[in-house]
Amino acid sequence: MILLYELSEDNKELCGLGDGEEIYYCLPLDIDLKGDYRSNSYTVMTNRRLLILEEGKLTREFQLAECDSIHSEPQIACGILFVEKGGEQILLGRFTAKHLTRYSYLSRGMLILKRGRTERVVSHEYEKSCPKCGRGLPNTSECPRCSGKSMGFFKDYMMMVKPHTGTMIVILLLMLLSTAVGLLSPQVQRYLVDDLLTVEGRRYGEALPCLAAMLLLALGAIVINVGKNYMCARLGSYISADLRHKVFDKIQQLSLSYINDRSPGQLMNRVVRDTRRIKDFCSEVFCNLFTVIISFVFVLIYMLFMNWRLALMAFVFVPISIGLSIGFRKMIHRRFHMQGKKSDKENSKLQDVISGMAVVKSYGQELREAEQFDETADAYAKVQKGNETFFAIFFPILTFLLGLGSYLVTFFGGRATLLGTLTPGELLQFITYASMLYGYVGQLSNLPRHLMNLVTSMERISDVMNQEPSIYDGDEAVDLDIQGEITFQHASFGYKSYQPVLEDINLKVKKGEMIGLVGASGTGKSTLINLIMHLYEVDDGAILIDGVDIRKIRLEKFHSQIGVVLQENFLFAGTIFNNIRFAKQDATYEEVIQAAKMANAHDFICQTPDGYNTYVGEHGYNLSGGERQRIAIARAILSNPRLLILDEATASLDTESEYLIQKALERLTEGRTTFAIAHRLSTLKDADRLVVIDGHHVAEMGSHDELMQRKGIYYGLVKAQLQMQSTKKVPKAV
Amino acid sequence: MAGHRGPGGARKPEREMEDFQLEQMEQETEEMLRVRYLDDKNAKFERTGTGFLSLRIGEEFYPRVLVVRMFPFSDKNEFISIRTAEERSKEIGIVEKLANVSRETVEMLEEQLTLRYFTPIIQKINKIKDEYGFAYWNVVTDHGECNFTIRMGGNSVIHLSETRILIMDIDENRFEIPDVSQLTVAERRKLDLFL
Repeated sequence: MILLYELSEDNKELCGLGDGEEIYYCLPLDIDLKGDYRSNSYTVMTNRRLLILEEGKLTREFQLAECDSIHSEPQIACGILFVEKGGEQILLGRFTAKHLTRYSYLSRGMLILKRGRTERVVSHEYEKSCPKCGRGLPNTSECPRCSGKSMGFFKDYMMMVKPHTGTMIVILLLMLLSTAVGLLSPQVQRYLVDDLLTVEGRRYGEALPCLAAMLLLALGAIVINVGKNYMCARLGSYISADLRHKVFDKIQQLSLSYINDRSPGQLMNRVVRDTRRIKDFCSEVFCNLFTVIISFVFVLIYMLFMNWRLALMAFVFVPISIGLSIGFRKMIHRRFHMQGKKSDKENSKLQDVISGMAVVKSYGQELREAEQFDETADAYAKVQKGNETFFAIFFPILTFLLGLGSYLVTFFGGRATLLGTLTPGELLQFITYASMLYGYVGQLSNLPRHLMNLVTSMERISDVMNQEPSIYDGDEAVDLDIQGEITFQHASFGYKSYQPVLEDINLKVKKGEMIGLVGASGTGKSTLINLIMHLYEVDDGAILIDGVDIRKIRLEKFHSQIGVVLQENFLFAGTIFNNIRFAKQDATYEEVIQAAKMANAHDFICQTPDGYNTYVGEHGYNLSGGERQRIAIARAILSNPRLLILDEATASLDTESEYLIQKALERLTEGRTTFAIAHRLSTLKDADRLVVIDGHHVAEMGSHDELMQRKGIYYGLVKAQLQMQSTKKVPKAV
Repeated sequence: MAGHRGPGGARKPEREMEDFQLEQMEQETEEMLRVRYLDDKNAKFERTGTGFLSLRIGEEFYPRVLVVRMFPFSDKNEFISIRTAEERSKEIGIVEKLANVSRETVEMLEEQLTLRYFTPIIQKINKIKDEYGFAYWNVVTDHGECNFTIRMGGNSVIHLSETRILIMDIDENRFEIPDVSQLTVAERRKLDLFL
């Protein structure tokens, strides 16, 4: 991300740089305090001063040494910049959300400069739009167009089809054949009429070969079309299967931050619906595309060649109807779109109410919900009715208009036949071709819509495919067998970099140590753990595992050595056995049973109807929270991790299962580096050290006893929890 | 929990400490529940002279307060929350209606509101071009002409009502069209894809 915008010479002059003074950061102030857009205002930071340039004037100037700090404060869809100086906050300017992230680097940059260091803060975040061409970037480091990796949709489509070149060639040949057969048939008809039926003295028997030829052609057309459609459907399914495979792989590769930005439904649609649309295009549109175009051109030329005046007459209404359908297309599109929207609304309303049925019932709101649903259903019905009426009127008119040409052809052609300038056979052939032509026009006018659908689906798929995972194995990634020593060096991180969650975390964890993470909700405990698991990357600083930077460790190897037990543990659809074996696919029965026993899970598993083969997951056997927990622990034990993460692993459990799980956890944590988060502080009593996180920092660190003596945040939390328990008892006593 | 008693500490002071803490917690809870309405009589707003707003309520003084709308879409001039400027900001009081305080106070509050909320109103749509997953807009807003880019196929266009829409660009800037039916036919046609 750009942190140093180019200044014009005039503006540079305004800065009045002294000897050895250098501009470090320069960011636009693209709106004024009232919000009006402007284009020539900047915040400039040199190694000595902070300057505000507004529309060709230097309006503010501060020595960095005299400022305590510089802040950029996110507002709603904009941000403000102020300095703190002598206990006073001084507002300097305002900028749009485009620059929010950039400005967040400014305060860090200032601190570095103030300490007399000279390095520049570098942002690894990607620009949202290309600084050169202004096009939106699909979360890539380079603009796909400016860097020449243009991805025009035709090229993309060709890329997809390429592996199936053989099938394509067969399809093309079949298309040509089908066109030829389609054009040949009226020719035979003409021969039948002109040379056999209307000629005196010809006998019935002579017509038979002709009829046989027509039958053969008809049969041939069917065979060719069946073959062609089969090949096209096959091509379509292969391509979409390929794509689904690729999109799914890509989604798995992408880091959690990408996944979390999008709803599961959205991502599922890309894998399922968009690939299906591409398949539909291949099997329905593409397969007829060339046939239609080639036939159209041939028929047209042939008709003009036969009798250009009649041909023009046949064609005279075509532009009108094409014009009409193009003119109405936007309206039709809008109507369809509206109908789709209303139907979506009805669906989501339904889904909403059904999934919230318990709440609706318990508050007795069935009637109101029914009324609301009626409203949405009515609205949908109304739009639908309108559309049906519209189409019922519009299409017959369109067909009639298109067909008007054939009346003209019949009239003038008939006259010509009577006058003897046209044979009846030619007339018949002409009329057949004209009606074929109208059919093609109808198909061609739908083409833009099909293409539109294809393009949008391809867009959505390439949005996924063009993402670059922010966490990946670099060239120098190494397989590391973890010992379990973890070091945080000035680590900072925020899900959005202008909202830091953790700042300057320094922590050294010895091998086999158990660390309890304590702090109010939302202080960043789970974030810290996500960083250790390398699901996210630190913005600044580093995390070292056994002295190796976490970014240089091969991900798969690293993750195979981590065990995780969360508050809500996800069990995949499958048997208990498979769920325990998730992290170690080749585990034997003995190993799994041993792990289940250590997790205190064996006994309850034996009591389920199907033992280890019991099906769990959605629509499966219902396990209680504690039972899921113990399966997750068994999973972690089986994988024999070097590094163990327990995120609220014992919350919301009854006392008995908590005891069992505590026991199971004790066995699990032995000798492994462990990070545990718990709101119930008693859970952390075995921790070697407690780390209290508050205000983005490590606020306190030490054993339970040390922290109690210090009477700080931890002491307060312990007291508060004790008191919560005593206040709960009060009503009973009264 | 017994294991969590502090080591050593004499029994009596700890007891007192607990009582004190309990009292403090109860007081804080009470304070959180209380709704305090601010008006010209009980509250004195003053410009800091450096771009922000300070507030004095009797003995209490806040060198900088945040001015926040509770219903920014449905009632932007009612129920204005006045909050402390810390990170875990707490409510100091509520200005129920801007119409009920003096013009001077309204001006000061509005300055801060203008600073906080930035949602240009689209007055004219010059051009919308969609290309490969993004739509490029050129519009005239109440804050001047502006180009922005939105992602297609996402949730970039939010319907606040049948006719009122909010548009979110790739940088998370917001733009509003208060009444779509007021646009010209040509403009609406450009907008059709997003409605």
